[in-house]
Amino acid sequence: MQAFLKGAGVGKPLKDKGPAGPSADKKPKTVPWVEKYRPKCVDEVAFQEEVVAVLKKSLEGADLPNLLFYGPPGTGKTSTILAAARELYGPELYRQRVLELNASDERGIQVVREKVKTFAQLTVAGTRPDGKLCPPFKIIILDEADSMTAPAQAALRRTMEKESRTTRFCLICNYISRIIEPLTSRCSKFRFKPLANRIQEERLLEICEKENLKYTRESIEALVQVSEGDLRKAITFLQCAARLNMDKEITDRAIVEIAGVVPSKMIEGLLQTCFKGTFERLEVTVRNLVNDGYAATQILSQLHESIIESDLKDKDKSIITEKMAVVSKCLSDGADEYLQMLSLCSVIMQRAAQS
Amino acid sequence: MSLWVDKYRPTSLGKLDYHKEQATQLKNLVQCGDFPHLLVYGPSGAGKKTRIMCLLRELYGAGVEKLRIEHHTIVAPSKKKIEINTIASNYHLEVNPSDAGNQDRVVIQELIKTVAQSQQIQSSTQREFKVVILTEVDRLTKDAQHALRRTMEKYMSTCRLILCSTSTSKVIGPIRSRCLAVRVPLPSTEEVCSVLTSVCKKEGLNLPPELAKQISEKSGRNLRKALLMCEACRVQQYPFSADQEVPETDWEVYLRETANAIVSQQNPQRLLEVRARLYELLTHCIPPEIIMKGLVKELLSNCDGQLKAEVAHMAAYYEHRLQLGSKAIYHLEAFTAKFMAIYKKFMEDGLDAMMF
Amino acid sequence: MDPLPEGSRTAASSVKRWVDPSFSELSAQSSDPFLWSKTDTKNPKKRKGGAFSCQRLESDQGGQDESWVDRYSPQSQAELAVHKKKVEDVQTWMNAHRSKGGILVLTGPSGSGKTATVRVLSQELGLKVQEWTNPSNVEPYSSWQNADWRIDGLTYSSQVTQFREFLLRAYKYGCLSMAGDGGAAGKKLILVEDFPNQFSRQPSSLHDLLRRFVRIARCPLVFVVSESVSGDGSVRSLFPREIQEELHINCISFNPVAPTSMMKVLGSISAQEAVKSGGRTSVPGQAELEALCSGSAGDIRSAINSLQFLCLLGSSGNSGVSRTKKDRPASGRRGASRSNQKTKKTKTVKDQEEERAIGGKDAALFLFRALGKILHCKRGGHTEVPSPALPPHLLHHCREDLLVEPEVVVERSHVSAEMFNLYLHQNYLDFFSEVEDVERASEYLSDADLLAADWTNRIILRDYSSSVAVRGILHSNSHQVSVGFRPLHKPAWLQVSTKHRENCLAARHLFRDFCLPAACLQVELLPYLAKLTNPMRNHTQITFIQEVGQMSLRKHPSRVKLETLTDKETAPEEEEEKEDRGLVEGQDQSEEALTASQPKPTLSRALLEDEEVSIEEYSSD
Repeated sequence: MQAFLKGAGVGKPLKDKGPAGPSADKKPKTVPWVEKYRPKCVDEVAFQEEVVAVLKKSLEGADLPNLLFYGPPGTGKTSTILAAARELYGPELYRQRVLELNASDERGIQVVREKVKTFAQLTVAGTRPDGKLCPPFKIIILDEADSMTAPAQAALRRTMEKESRTTRFCLICNYISRIIEPLTSRCSKFRFKPLANRIQEERLLEICEKENLKYTRESIEALVQVSEGDLRKAITFLQCAARLNMDKEITDRAIVEIAGVVPSKMIEGLLQTCFKGTFERLEVTVRNLVNDGYAATQILSQLHESIIESDLKDKDKSIITEKMAVVSKCLSDGADEYLQMLSLCSVIMQRAAQS
Repeated sequence: MSLWVDKYRPTSLGKLDYHKEQATQLKNLVQCGDFPHLLVYGPSGAGKKTRIMCLLRELYGAGVEKLRIEHHTIVAPSKKKIEINTIASNYHLEVNPSDAGNQDRVVIQELIKTVAQSQQIQSSTQREFKVVILTEVDRLTKDAQHALRRTMEKYMSTCRLILCSTSTSKVIGPIRSRCLAVRVPLPSTEEVCSVLTSVCKKEGLNLPPELAKQISEKSGRNLRKALLMCEACRVQQYPFSADQEVPETDWEVYLRETANAIVSQQNPQRLLEVRARLYELLTHCIPPEIIMKGLVKELLSNCDGQLKAEVAHMAAYYEHRLQLGSKAIYHLEAFTAKFMAIYKKFMEDGLDAMMF
Repeated sequence: MDPLPEGSRTAASSVKRWVDPSFSELSAQSSDPFLWSKTDTKNPKKRKGGAFSCQRLESDQGGQDESWVDRYSPQSQAELAVHKKKVEDVQTWMNAHRSKGGILVLTGPSGSGKTATVRVLSQELGLKVQEWTNPSNVEPYSSWQNADWRIDGLTYSSQVTQFREFLLRAYKYGCLSMAGDGGAAGKKLILVEDFPNQFSRQPSSLHDLLRRFVRIARCPLVFVVSESVSGDGSVRSLFPREIQEELHINCISFNPVAPTSMMKVLGSISAQEAVKSGGRTSVPGQAELEALCSGSAGDIRSAINSLQFLCLLGSSGNSGVSRTKKDRPASGRRGASRSNQKTKKTKTVKDQEEERAIGGKDAALFLFRALGKILHCKRGGHTEVPSPALPPHLLHHCREDLLVEPEVVVERSHVSAEMFNLYLHQNYLDFFSEVEDVERASEYLSDADLLAADWTNRIILRDYSSSVAVRGILHSNSHQVSVGFRPLHKPAWLQVSTKHRENCLAARHLFRDFCLPAACLQVELLPYLAKLTNPMRNHTQITFIQEVGQMSLRKHPSRVKLETLTDKETAPEEEEEKEDRGLVEGQDQSEEALTASQPKPTLSRALLEDEEVSIEEYSSD
């Protein structure tokens, strides 16, 4: 599901924003910060040294292999390739040389055949209009490649080989297991790690400075924690918080609220009731959580974390997590949140009582 | 004369009675000009719709309160006609797409397309977009939700969506990530109390604080229910007395009696009677999952300790089946039978323990 | 120009036209394009509906070709195999309405003698039967010998228009003939067996037509509606209760022909045949007749056809017919195996096959009996201990051998798996004594529902689902005590869920200006509205609130309102449960296909009228 987070920010704004000048006369549109603070060059890409090294070599004139970027959302996969492409071609050539397709576009087998093929068949020169050298190939970026159907991927395979002289592909996905083997073997694979908290914090602070935001130290920490290594999510949350709290300080509470995360105090309270309380109290606690509108799936994932970290015996933990899996499935089938949570918590309670 | 719930519904963000901080935040959102798609979620009776209408008023002014009910007929690609009612003003359109059953995808796409493409006639309107409110988004099919994702992006320039849902659990990730999520919790018991008191004051009634407290507790923090209860109290007896009995709905009483019947005796004949009662509830428009939840609540209060946990498991198990299955009665009855069996065993064990 | 008066005229002059042709006679089929166009309707079996025609075909020339159904159609009331009371009912009505307008609807399973009764009675009362058959647009072109009948208007005007013309003109014609001939000879009765298809889609158009008819008509109109497994004519949709009351439509429901009457008829036919053929045909024995009788499920037409077929086999031992069946079973053995039909234990698959080969319908088992077999859960005696012993911890699952094969019972009941489960669910509690057993049985039912819930796999899984339900109930009934006779009931769920759906829809429509989600509306608003005195509602809303918002707490809903399964007066619930939302993922065509493929609940009326068959009787031998 997180694979789709990408589509939100990336695909569209890029199209109407364009590379530079010509669109400047449009009336000032509020650009999502995710776009605004996207790295402009490869050097700015945070935390992904291996890829950056390869791309830099290519910028210096070496050939570029077909690329396959994979990793959790918000780690800079799209940003990296976009930045590299911009550096390679410069703003003018960029439009001609780069084709970007993401899951929001229709991307059936037909599209792969027609659109990709026609684009790939254009031949290109090895120089830029401004006289600088540029690589004699085009780049096709297939964002969210893991949501492509297997037949579409298979169709891609042939195109990829045939056009290898003039075209480089960059496939981006969250789960490499969903890309068919023949494709992965044709690409050099790069794994994008979740961003370290420190790096994220740096970036966020930088944005806060530039946007003149009032913030607390804790809010940034909360942001980092809530986003779980997903920088895009963190920036989006930050922007939302800024919108909602104009001219006011952004607090960690606001961040937690926007993220829809259950405050850790409440999760703790719930666990305490499970460990020590009575069933009646548990009923009340769960009922209150649901009444406060917290999503059961969210409670579930946070409980999961707490249970893993708790000092229960391994056997108890495994029984509880197994129940969690069941509950998660039931929830996705549309079962009632209160009853499911109650059932889960009573399992935790039972295990806690026995140990 | 309208119901108190409608009569005293706040109409502007400033007048909202609780979650005031959130109200100011929403105000900010309107002012900053860059209005995102919203996902408003919270339990039933928390005031989501009220909040949304206030927000619209803030966006467009009093014009949004001129509502009309429109009847649309949409022809699906399969040539099937879908009839759907919408509530609209000049600036917005509200629709409950789940009314269209499994054709909800078509409804969403068609309606949003129509709204997004129709130009606003008045030049005076301060917004360049219209708003489409989709209620009960959690009941949309996955198909419709995925379609919504694309539609949202496509018409972003002329149209904003406000999605209204009881929980985000059933809303797919891509939609959640495209919206600014606004959580509306139920008001606290105290907040319900104060709303009740102020409404009664406006009606020129004197509501004893004890009664207010009693109502708000009985309502389970559901403000709509609390107001309806309060109004029913008024019909029942005025002047209010502090220890007045708060009228419950017939089906709740009926359900409690059903639960008592289950607890008092456990045999196939009793189950047959319970089944007849369940049928009775169903014919009175009570959805099966609500029957199940109500039954669980009553039964839980009738048993103790270890048994409760077991009942909770069973309830979760059969409620899940209720959602998946096609005929609710099987699962309701299986739950009842299961409860009877374990309750009977529990009582017998208890009796044996007493003997020794 | 319209062919109708013409048709009537010829009908009057050559009565023979009124005789239904046998289904094998091709010449008769095409002899009259207008009146007999029915032959190419999709249901050839139904075609035989008129077999008990008012005129016996005297000719012996038909000989072997002629179907016995035609040859031995009843000529007088005494010959009718229908229960006397029903015949009297119809007769009374006819007497009362013979010279004024009036509408009668006869319902009943196919082959229960509805048409025959009408024909015999109208003959006795001196009424001419004028019958409507659906015209077919293809017919006029193919029936070359009647070219003069081909009139352009016929092919182009719709069936409905023609039907209207027919009804109204038939009436006019009646007047004219009275003027001409005078006396009762011209009196007529209009018989409609075949409805223009349009009416099943739009019953209201039929209703309008009937209203007009009632206003002007002077002759009785009889509708004959067969309720069959495939159930094309639904009385309830064509003649809803309001219409019945409004137009004073009488409704008489026929039952399957009782075995005793059927035996009488079969016996007399076979005797006559034997005399006539002079030994050419072998006369089936009493046992075989009985088997035919029980196999035909009260369908006398099918029974006679089977009889003819049986005799045919016997008479031409090595003719073409028997070649299709390689070794014709000795009739003695067949009879023996058939008489054993009820104890399935001894019956081999082969026997069943044979049985089916002879009497088309005899594989069917009445729902009543099928349910009985499952619910009474007869098991073998203690002597037949299964060979592999269960390990100690599973011993409580040990059961004796079943006397029935559950899947076969379900299959033979001719009811869809879902429907069978519903019937089981409705009735199983009466047969259980321990709540622990009920617990497991109900869980199996819940499992079964879950199995068949997923729309995409339903076709495959529904058999498993019914298997789980049936075997689950059989297995979990561990403390089976002989409960004696218990009445069986029709599933209340169908009504309940329909009502639930209707009420929810109504609620949404009536109170849509509250703009509330459905659940809030039903659970919170309506019940409280019932408690408030709010004068802003219109009449329908108030009625609805009183009906739905309030619940009479003291009322003890019990099984009083349940329809017993053997109840004969009311038609069985035929409404298909609509597919639940979400299970059918927007694929209309498949949805339709699905509903169509689900057979309607079969007629569950057992042969209980003349013989009191108690539910245990199936194991009587």
